[in-house]
Amino acid sequence: MAGPGGRHAQAPGGGDLAGRQAELVAALVAGGPLPPGFATAPVEAARRALLRKRAGDVARHWPLLAAGLGDAWPATFAGWAAGRPTNGSLRDGWDLARELRDRDTLPPLGAEELAVREAAIRYDGRTAPRPRRLPAVARAGGAVAAQLAGRVRLLRPAPR
Amino acid sequence: MTAGPSGVGIGWRPEIAGFVAGLPGLRFVEVVAETVAPAGPLPDGLAELRARGVTVVPHGVKLSLGGAEPVDPARVAHLAGVAAALDAPLVSEHIAFVRAGGLEAGHLLPLPRSREAVAAVVANVRRAQAELPVPLALEPIAALFDWPDDELNEGDFLTEILDATGALLLLDVANVHANARNRGGDPGALLERLPLDRIAYVHVAGGTEQGGFYHDTHTDPVPAEVLDLVRELCDRRRPPALLLERDGHYPPAAELRGELDALAAASSYPVIT
Repeated sequence: MAGPGGRHAQAPGGGDLAGRQAELVAALVAGGPLPPGFATAPVEAARRALLRKRAGDVARHWPLLAAGLGDAWPATFAGWAAGRPTNGSLRDGWDLARELRDRDTLPPLGAEELAVREAAIRYDGRTAPRPRRLPAVARAGGAVAAQLAGRVRLLRPAPR
Repeated sequence: MTAGPSGVGIGWRPEIAGFVAGLPGLRFVEVVAETVAPAGPLPDGLAELRARGVTVVPHGVKLSLGGAEPVDPARVAHLAGVAAALDAPLVSEHIAFVRAGGLEAGHLLPLPRSREAVAAVVANVRRAQAELPVPLALEPIAALFDWPDDELNEGDFLTEILDATGALLLLDVANVHANARNRGGDPGALLERLPLDRIAYVHVAGGTEQGGFYHDTHTDPVPAEVLDLVRELCDRRRPPALLLERDGHYPPAAELRGELDALAAASSYPVIT
């Protein structure tokens, strides 16, 4: 990202709205530097408010994951999402759940939610998730779910 | 086309669809446009409201009319399609940008109050208006920070955009309160400068103090200061309609009814509960 003297560091009113908007969004969601001239504290407050709002949005798409983490949900999500631009709430929660699974820190409720989702929907981690047409079995954190003809069942709950 | 919004309404959300359906005096609601599929069936509950003759206004949140880049034609087409599917009298969107440089902010971000930004908004609003079947109302947003190079004050910035586009105004009194609280300025003075005769309807929402800032969360009760501002606005020129916005942390029905009643009392419109 261009700083002072860089590509977008034009004088105020210098007519590079696109570049300056891109710098501001990068500072808010992608860990970019604060563009020149902006007040630090209010932009930082906006960055944090944005993470709280995203945490709420993702919790609505992944209610069991959020409930499983309980009081730790806001901080867990913010820790993962800071500097990581959103791919939409469904994918954000999915990516976070997979990361927690790989770290062995996925709570049982989250494991069951992830297993059910993976049985029902194919998600490659890069593009929009798509419903599965073929029967599938999915496992996460000890939970096992299966999908047959569009119906999804949790075959084995995650160990408590 | 159905009648324009009038009286007291509420933002329709799936989580409170049952509560909204049970409001006997309800005449209008607003729905987040991105949650409605123009070609598919309407969300449960919304079709019933339309059958009852309740006006539904699609409210866009992701168009990014304030982006320096041209507005995405597919997003405009979606908004137009939702307006047609709901037989809406108008649609609304924000004077803000939500993405830039290929990154989604996931939130409404403020523009510099500059001539360049006015030109960007006006160009995008005209592109949208050319495709929309109904009038467009523009909503100024709440923001925690300003750009360093404002050339215009808030009132002139908004008025220039409205004058150049002929768009209606969706005034959010909670945003007016939040901006005055966080960025300075007198909310009454802003009302003085705005074309209040251009208001299609008004948003009212709750927020909370956190870390020295007032956050327009939509998850908290409407504070007394915002209701005071509703009264002040109605004293100057009562808008045709006022809408309560609530997103998440939905309270018990009695509390929501209380909020709607307080809004009716502050605006002297009939209670809808």
